[in-house]
Amino acid sequence: MFDLINEIGQTMRNNKLRTGLTGFAVAWGIFMLIILLGLSRGLMSGFEANSSERNLNSVSVWRGMTSIPYKGYKEGRQIRLKASTVDKLNQSNNKYIGNASAYNYIDSAKVTGPKDYVSNGIEGIAPESQRDQRIKIYAGRFINQADMNNNRKVMVISRKTAKTIFGSDSTEVIGQRVKSLGLAWTIVGLFDREWGEDDNYVPFNTAVALSGGDPSIWSMNVYIENVSDEKTALEAEDAIRGELAKIYDFHPADRSAAPMWNRFTNYLQNKEGMKILDYAVWIIGIFTMLSGIVGVSNIMFVSVRERTHEIGIRRAIGAKRRNILTQIILESVSITTIFGYLGIVMGMIVMQIIAHFFGNGGSGNSPLGNPTVDLSIALKVTLVLIIAGALAGLFPALKATKVKPVEALRDE
Amino acid sequence: MIIRLKDINKTYPGVVPLHVLKDINLDIERGELVAIMGASGSGKSTLLNILGILDNYDSGEYFLDGVLIKDLSENRAAELRNRMIGFVFQSFNLISYKNAVENVALPLFYQGVSRRKRNMLAMEQLERMGLADRAHHLPGELSGGQKQRVAIARSLITNPSIILADEPTGALDSTTSHDVMNLFRELNAEGMTIVIVTHDPGVGAATNRIIRISDGRIVPDEPVIAEQPQIIV
Repeated sequence: MFDLINEIGQTMRNNKLRTGLTGFAVAWGIFMLIILLGLSRGLMSGFEANSSERNLNSVSVWRGMTSIPYKGYKEGRQIRLKASTVDKLNQSNNKYIGNASAYNYIDSAKVTGPKDYVSNGIEGIAPESQRDQRIKIYAGRFINQADMNNNRKVMVISRKTAKTIFGSDSTEVIGQRVKSLGLAWTIVGLFDREWGEDDNYVPFNTAVALSGGDPSIWSMNVYIENVSDEKTALEAEDAIRGELAKIYDFHPADRSAAPMWNRFTNYLQNKEGMKILDYAVWIIGIFTMLSGIVGVSNIMFVSVRERTHEIGIRRAIGAKRRNILTQIILESVSITTIFGYLGIVMGMIVMQIIAHFFGNGGSGNSPLGNPTVDLSIALKVTLVLIIAGALAGLFPALKATKVKPVEALRDE
Repeated sequence: MIIRLKDINKTYPGVVPLHVLKDINLDIERGELVAIMGASGSGKSTLLNILGILDNYDSGEYFLDGVLIKDLSENRAAELRNRMIGFVFQSFNLISYKNAVENVALPLFYQGVSRRKRNMLAMEQLERMGLADRAHHLPGELSGGQKQRVAIARSLITNPSIILADEPTGALDSTTSHDVMNLFRELNAEGMTIVIVTHDPGVGAATNRIIRISDGRIVPDEPVIAEQPQIIV
């Protein structure tokens, strides 16, 4: 084996330019494959990171309009979601329906502090919405269940708002009072977020009580349970629609009466899309590499042609067909593998640079998560390289074995 | 009897088939030094190719050292060439990017002999040829005579039954030719069977027996030993 490697090394050194040019084509192909794979991995890990920050198993429901006549009502009736529906859904014992929550926005409200006031309104929110809204608490705490149960007059504001109305965003603000809708509220937390810094959060139940009676809401969020695939996710939607149909008297199959956005099915679809992207990248990459492989094959043909005489000598002094075949194929595999690895290393270096400047290690707003290529991909690529190299060498090698020593040795 | 040819016929197919060897019968004894002579196109190269198991024949029988050489598989032919025949060519046929030792050792590579042992045996052969100091030179750095001696060392390394030489002096000047022929005679004196194909009468005269071939047939033997004093040595 060592001898064979030595033989190959000798022929490669003997044809430096040829080996180099062929190798470049292969290295370039692999380089492109690694870059493509890295970028697609980056997109995917970015997507996964984004997904994991949100609750995937939830369904949003909006106000809708009926499209099917039902129980004497004509179609085209507005369905206004009521705050009380949240409680009704929470009392449901359907196996798919989990916790429901909603927002109640009182847009006329001013929030007044010791220094200044803001007039952004206040927003009734449930504790579980913190994650969906990606509200990062900077100091203090978010709205909790006790606030909800007791209709407490507590408020969570942004650091920016705190600076405006208190002139400070330090933790001393926690526990201070502000005025809104003619009532005194206690600040229990400060949040930090790149968008939506104007929101002022209060407990949902408190906001509902302040609105008086049973205010209508724009949308609600329902957690779904026991879902694992597309089918159960759709059944969960049907279950929610069925509950709402009972409350609002619309046909249980009337989709437009309660339009929904199912994050879970959306996630599944995105995941499917990502899978297709991955396949596409492999296919494009392999075709890019193919041009390199064809180059190797071509150069091996030339090499066999040039070395007809040498192959003739080897055959005359006792080389079997198998010896010649293995030598040519291994030569081809060595060229593809050595230069392929060069391409992998270059690709990885470039991806590390891209990761350094554009990646974010799975947080923030960049669509690129971690755009680096892991070991399993390197192994897959190695396998591809060896197979490709062997294929590239096969036909030239078969041609080489057909060299007849008599003809090859005839003096030109 | 190391070589026995019985009624060998060979025809190259084509629009006009070419019958190159016609009922060749030839026996060569172990330890002979034989020249096969003939004009160009007489069929002597084809005969050498058949003797060297590089080419097939159509009918007849060829025994090499007791082995019937007929309808062999490619692999078997390669194996027999490797073990039983040492080739020496007009144009040396050394591999240009391998040094002298590596060239000499190459037949042993195909026998699967370890690198160290191979190179040791190759060095022995080169020393025998007086080329020990040229062992690590590439063929391009050697003179014609040195190249041919490397080729002869290569043909000897597998300890073959016969050496087949195809115009071994064709590319050499007269002095060097002389040296090479003396080398062949020395090897023959040590017991090696040698068959030389040539059209050079001087080379023929330096052998013990001349087989003349003309138009695909062997011209009846003329013993040369009697009239051939040892003028060369």
